[in-house]
Amino acid sequence: MSHVEIRDLRKTYGAIDVVHGIDVDIDQGEFVVLVGPSGCGKSTLLRMVAGLEEVSSGAISIGARVVNEVAPKDRDIAMVFQNYALYPQMTVAQNMSFALELAGQGKAEIAEKVSRAAEILGLGPLLERKPAALSGGQRQRVAMGRAIVRDPQVFLFDEPLSNLDAKLRVQMRAEIKALCSRLGTTTIYVTHDQVEAMTMADKIVVLNGGRIEQVGRPLDLYDNPRNVFVAGFLGSPAMNLWPVEAVPEGLRLPGGGILPLPADRRPPIGTKLTLGIRPELLAPDPNGPIRATVTLVEPTGSETIIAVDIGGEQGTVLLKDRLDMAAGHEIRLSPVLDRLHLFDTQSGEVLSTYVE
Amino acid sequence: MKNLFRKMEDEPWLFLAPALLIYAIFAIWPMIDVTMMSFQRWNGLDPERVFVGLSNYRYVLTQDAVFWTAFVNTVIWTLLSLVCPPLIGLLLALGLNQPLVGRSALRAIYYLPVIIAPIAVATMWRWMYDPFFGLFAQMLTNWGFGTSIPDFLGNRETALYWVFVAYVWQQVGFSMVLFLAGLQNVDRSLVEAAQIDGAGRWKTFRYVTMPAIMPTITIVLVLSLIQSIKAFDIVYGLTGGGPSQSTQMLALWAFTQSMQIFDFGRGGAISVILLLITVVIVIPYLRWSMKNEGRS
Repeated sequence: MSHVEIRDLRKTYGAIDVVHGIDVDIDQGEFVVLVGPSGCGKSTLLRMVAGLEEVSSGAISIGARVVNEVAPKDRDIAMVFQNYALYPQMTVAQNMSFALELAGQGKAEIAEKVSRAAEILGLGPLLERKPAALSGGQRQRVAMGRAIVRDPQVFLFDEPLSNLDAKLRVQMRAEIKALCSRLGTTTIYVTHDQVEAMTMADKIVVLNGGRIEQVGRPLDLYDNPRNVFVAGFLGSPAMNLWPVEAVPEGLRLPGGGILPLPADRRPPIGTKLTLGIRPELLAPDPNGPIRATVTLVEPTGSETIIAVDIGGEQGTVLLKDRLDMAAGHEIRLSPVLDRLHLFDTQSGEVLSTYVE
Repeated sequence: MKNLFRKMEDEPWLFLAPALLIYAIFAIWPMIDVTMMSFQRWNGLDPERVFVGLSNYRYVLTQDAVFWTAFVNTVIWTLLSLVCPPLIGLLLALGLNQPLVGRSALRAIYYLPVIIAPIAVATMWRWMYDPFFGLFAQMLTNWGFGTSIPDFLGNRETALYWVFVAYVWQQVGFSMVLFLAGLQNVDRSLVEAAQIDGAGRWKTFRYVTMPAIMPTITIVLVLSLIQSIKAFDIVYGLTGGGPSQSTQMLALWAFTQSMQIFDFGRGGAISVILLLITVVIVIPYLRWSMKNEGRS
């Protein structure tokens, strides 16, 4: 396994810039997730690391070697594709051994590696089947098997769980994570699903519009988003982001309520800001400063998600309790003042994160 | 419109009938008639047709030397047709599937000969093959080979192959278009997976492209086969079967027997033999494709 360094990486298609100068360091054995909305450049970035896209400028190093001009097969990487990309005419065993055969390895060695990978992934009974005779989860495992047998320096995953149903996705998420940490191989994993990013990553790289918004450990990003984009992108349900105005006592909320802030935390009076509060940090409180109208109640069993309207702004409240509430109810909410975020409305950058 | 489609689902026969009628008149009835004719003697003009049993077949198979020349030529022609146009078509398709400037125009140019009437192709190539005034003679003269211009269509050893060159020129676009369509089915990520696995161009073609276009290859081969067995107009237009029957083909010989020698019985017998050969080859294909259809 190796560390990966990406330096000022750019990609342009004709006159269109897709990736604008990205710098990332990936430590040896680290599981890094590239996450962002569609078109943010995450897959392009991964494909550049794989060698499937040319680098317009900048450098990618795997280990100590700059690989910009190195062919994909010589980069010592293995990739798992979104649609698994299994060779349909080959059996599971042949799919897994193909790369090793091309590399000219001996039959005994190949058989040993394939059977070891099959054992790790529980593919033993399926080795003679063709991909068409496998379920989505099994195909996913074969794709991983094909990656493992090569014992590469870096694993690359391109949205590998997108084609699976929700339940299987949760299961495979755990399997991939466990597998990667067991093998200790450096991994770059692309997804648009922030839950996957949060649950699997050692380090998350949030991308937007071909630029890095923030890099860090999952909970660090969750607790200390650097800007409105990261704040809104990570977390489900998403963080509430409301326009507020600084007044002498604190912040004037949409709908007219005043959220008091300690004197030393008050922004200059009259400043217009964006307030960020996580849905789980709001609670019903008869004396709370936030006046809201319930628009939708979604009980999930373990939690209740309440959509509210606050002076024309949308909001979400996540409660652990089951509440007898219906659309149209007027309620008052109070933030659990242990984590509030204030963002500059113009730039979207965080001004302060208030931790009680 | 909606009603029309509903009707189509409920009463398919109503919609198949017109086509079936035309097919019956212009395809099925002639086949029956020619089969009957093959057991008769008829010069095309007499009101009477005389039943002669198998004598037309006996004559054609045992005494007609031209029939066997035509048979051998048809076999050579068919074998060449299974190799040359599909192979060149595949190479063109692979080339024109790459992101080239002017790719669409090139595709159209290569396909153009397919839509020209074979008889026009024949006329054009006859001009080009002319040993005195033809394009090739002119080119060879310009390059300094003026003394060794071959008599393309006049040499009985080689005429068949020069006719075949013109046929390839016309047929290649057909295979190319089918292969281009087939290549669209090649999964891009499989090609990339093979690249990462360490496959070069040839291995990627062998293990990714070939399996993906296998159904197309089968279709192209079967259609080329059918097309080649019934080769007629291009030979008729270029050489008329000559010189001294050296480019004679079964379909052309059936036509010559009937329409020029006015022996419709023998012409019919040759047609029936050709029909049987075609059926023997095509039926396994139809069974195979129906099985595939059922599976999908």
